[in-house]
Amino acid sequence: MEAEVAQLLLAVIQGIPGGATNDDLSKALSDMPAGSRVEGLNVLLKQGSIEILKKGDKLIYRAKDPEKKSALPKDADNEEKVVYSIVEEGGNKGIWIRDIRMKSNLNMTQLNKILKNLETKKLIKAVKSVNASKKKVYMLYNLEADRSVTGGAWYQDQDFEVEFVDVLNQQCLRFLQMKREGAEKKRDGPLAFKQMSCCTVKEVHKFISDLGISKVNLDEDDLETILKTVVYDGSAERILQSDGTYVYRAVNLPLPAPGLVQMPCGICPVIKNCSNCGDVTAINCQYMNDWLD
Amino acid sequence: MSADYAHLCSSILEQCFGKVVQSVADCLFSATTRTLSQIVSSTNFSRKEVVLAVAVLIKFRLVNFEPSKNNPFLAEYSLRREDVICLLRYSRYIHLVQTKYGNVGASIAEELLNAGSETATGLLLKCLSDGENKAESAETYRDTFIKMISDHYIIKIPELMPGDEQDEAVPKFQKNECGFFVPPNIDLQLLAQIQKGEATLSKALDGAIVWSLNYDRFHQEFRDDIMKLAIERKLGENAAECFSFILNLIYNTTDPWQRKASNLVTFVEIKQAIERKSNNMELIKYLDQYICLIMDDSLGFLRKVGDMGGGQYLVDMEKTFESLAFACVEAVITERFGSKAARIFRVIRVKKFIEQEDLQKEAMIPAKEAKSLAYNLFQEQFIHVKVIKKPGGGGSGPAKAFYLFQIKDKDTVRMLLDNCFKSLYNTIRRSNYEKNEHKGLIEKSQRLDSIVEAMKERGESDEYIAEIVETFTPPECEILNKVKNRIKTLSKAEMTLDDTIFLLQMYQHHCTTLPTGIQKFK
Repeated sequence: MEAEVAQLLLAVIQGIPGGATNDDLSKALSDMPAGSRVEGLNVLLKQGSIEILKKGDKLIYRAKDPEKKSALPKDADNEEKVVYSIVEEGGNKGIWIRDIRMKSNLNMTQLNKILKNLETKKLIKAVKSVNASKKKVYMLYNLEADRSVTGGAWYQDQDFEVEFVDVLNQQCLRFLQMKREGAEKKRDGPLAFKQMSCCTVKEVHKFISDLGISKVNLDEDDLETILKTVVYDGSAERILQSDGTYVYRAVNLPLPAPGLVQMPCGICPVIKNCSNCGDVTAINCQYMNDWLD
Repeated sequence: MSADYAHLCSSILEQCFGKVVQSVADCLFSATTRTLSQIVSSTNFSRKEVVLAVAVLIKFRLVNFEPSKNNPFLAEYSLRREDVICLLRYSRYIHLVQTKYGNVGASIAEELLNAGSETATGLLLKCLSDGENKAESAETYRDTFIKMISDHYIIKIPELMPGDEQDEAVPKFQKNECGFFVPPNIDLQLLAQIQKGEATLSKALDGAIVWSLNYDRFHQEFRDDIMKLAIERKLGENAAECFSFILNLIYNTTDPWQRKASNLVTFVEIKQAIERKSNNMELIKYLDQYICLIMDDSLGFLRKVGDMGGGQYLVDMEKTFESLAFACVEAVITERFGSKAARIFRVIRVKKFIEQEDLQKEAMIPAKEAKSLAYNLFQEQFIHVKVIKKPGGGGSGPAKAFYLFQIKDKDTVRMLLDNCFKSLYNTIRRSNYEKNEHKGLIEKSQRLDSIVEAMKERGESDEYIAEIVETFTPPECEILNKVKNRIKTLSKAEMTLDDTIFLLQMYQHHCTTLPTGIQKFK
C-alpha cells in the first residue's frame, strides 16, 4: 500500500521539474488522505529518491536525478549519507578531510570510522595529492582524479618523473634541430629558412608519438609544456603566429662562453668569502691550483 | 665603485707604475677630490715623489685636476676610476690598430700607449728610432698618424688657454669640441733634422699640442664587434654584414654612445649603401628579408618605427645589451649551478614575478630540486625575492605573506660585474705571487740567456756554450716551464675576463642611467 502511494507521489513530483509543493501534491492526488501522503513521502525520502528544499516558508519536494542516485546501499546510516554526499560534491578534485569535518559537523573519530567504512565498501577512495604529499583527498570511487591532484602525465604515483621529462625535452630539442638542419640545406633565402625551421606543436606531437618513447598518452598540451622547457633552456624560441598559436624553432646562443666561466673564479662556490686574508685567498686556492696544473 | 674594483685598480696601477703611484691612486680613489698636500700627508711619501706620481697619472690621463672653488691657485685632483681598467686593454687596442693600419699603426699606438700622451713630432721620432720599422719612411708614419686622427682613434688633449694671467693659477684648458680631431701640421724636414741631431725637439712647432689614444673609439669598435658576432651566431654571416652596414649608417647621424637607441635610418639608405659597397649577391638579393629577420629576432637589435623611405629603423641599444648581458648571466649560471638552474632563472625572467610552486611547475623540475636551486640562486644574489604582505584582518585570521621570486636586472649585473673584478684581481694577484715565488729562477734563466747571447756574438765554441747552458739543471728547467705555463694561463684568463667585464659595462652604459666611463670627448 505504502509503496504504491510512494510511486504515485514520485510520478507527480518528477512531473514538475522545479519541485512540487504540498499544494501541488494535494491538487494532483486529491483523493489521497494527508496521512498516507506523509507516509509515502517519508518512504521516498528514505530511499533517497527525493529531497526536501525550503522556499520561503513552503516546503518543496524535488526528485533526485536517478543516475546520481547514490550507490549507497540501503543500509547506510544518516552520517554515512551525509559524508558521502559531501565527498560527491567534491567531484574529481577531491575533498580534504578537514573540509569534510567542517561541513558535516561530525567529530574526528566518528568521521574517520565512516570514511574507512566507505572506503572498504569501495564507495569512495583516498588519493594523495602531488602538491602536498601528506594531504589526502577523498573522492568517489569511480571517478578519475583531476590533473591538479595527480599532476598529469608527469607523475607516477606521487613522484615526478624527472627522467621521462628530460628524455622528452631532449627529443623535442633534437626534433627542432633536425628541422633546422633540414631547412639549412635548402637555399631559398633567409626568411624561407626561418619559416621552415619552425615547428608547430602538432608536428612535435606526431614525432614523439611515432617515436613511441612514452607509455602514457601525451596530448598536445603536455608537449607544449615540454617545449616550453626547451625554450627556458635557451635552446629554442617561441614565436607567436598571427593566428594566436605558437611555433617553436631551435636557435644558437648569441654569445660564446663568457670569459668569467673559463676560469675557476667564475664558478667558485666560495667567491663571496674570497679576500686577501683568511682561509680563502687566490694564493692558496685549491681550485686555482687544480686549474693551473 | 665597489671594494673589489678598488683592489683591482690598486693592483693594476702597482703593476704598471709601481708602489708610489699605487698609494697615491689609492688615496685619490677613496675621495672625490684631494689637494696635493692632502695626498702627501695621507701617503707618507715625500712631496717630490708624490708630485712625480701625480704627474705620471696626469700624463696617462688617469687624473683630472681643477682649481679649487675657494682658491684658484690650489689644484684639486681626482682619479678617473673607470679608466684604470683600460690599462689592461692595451694589447687589445694595439691588436685592433694592427688589423686596421698594419705594423706602422701598431707601432704608433704602442708608443702612444707607453707614453700616455705625446706631441706628434715627439711620437713620430720615437717610432722612427724604434728598431723594428726602419724600412718605413717618415711619410708613411705621418700619413698613418693623420689617418688615425681622422678616424678618431687618436684624440687631441685640450690645449692650454692662451693668456698671460695663467702663470700662477691652476692651468685652464680650451674646451672646443670641434678641435679634437683637427690634424696637426708635421714638419718632416725638422723631423729629419732632429733625427740627425741637428736640431732639438723643443724647436718643433707643435710642442703645445699633445695627442693620446681615444679609448671611446676603440670601445665603440669592440662593442660593435660584440653585436655583429651575436648576429652572426644567431642569424648567419649575411645578416651580420647587413647589420654592420646599418651601424655605419647610423654613426653618420648618431653619437655612438647615445644610451637608449640610435637615430633613424631608412631602408632606402641601407639598400643604397649595401649596393654601393658590398659585393655579396645573396645579401643584396634578400636584403629586405635579412632586415626583417634581424628585426623579428628575439635579441631585439633593430626596431621599426615608421614607413618613410621604405621603412624607418633604429638600433635599440638598450634592448640589445639587455639581451646580451643576460645571455652572459645565463651562461654563468649554467656553468655554476647547472642547466636546470638556468632554466629556473629564465622562467623567472619571463614571468617577472612567480611563486615557488608555479615556478617548479613551469620549469618541470621536481619540487625539492627546484627549491634548492632557486634558493641557491637567491643566496648568490642572482635572483631576488619580493614579499607581499596581506595584513591580518584585525586579529581574525593570520597575516599572510606571498614570496615572489623576481630578478632585479641591474643588481644582478652589478653583482656579476663585481665578481668579474674580483676574479680579475685574483688572477693578477696569483700571477704576481707565482712570479715572486720563482723570482730567483726566472732571473737566473734571464741572466743565462743574456750570457749565451753574448757568447754567441763573441763566437765562442758550441761546446763551451752547451756547458754554460747545462748549469741550468733539468729539474730547474721543468719548474721554470711550469711557472711560465701558469703565468701564460693566467694572462690569457685576464684577457677573456675582460671580455665579460666589457660586455657588462656596456649593459650599464646602455641600460641604466648610472654614470659610466664613457663621456663624450673626455
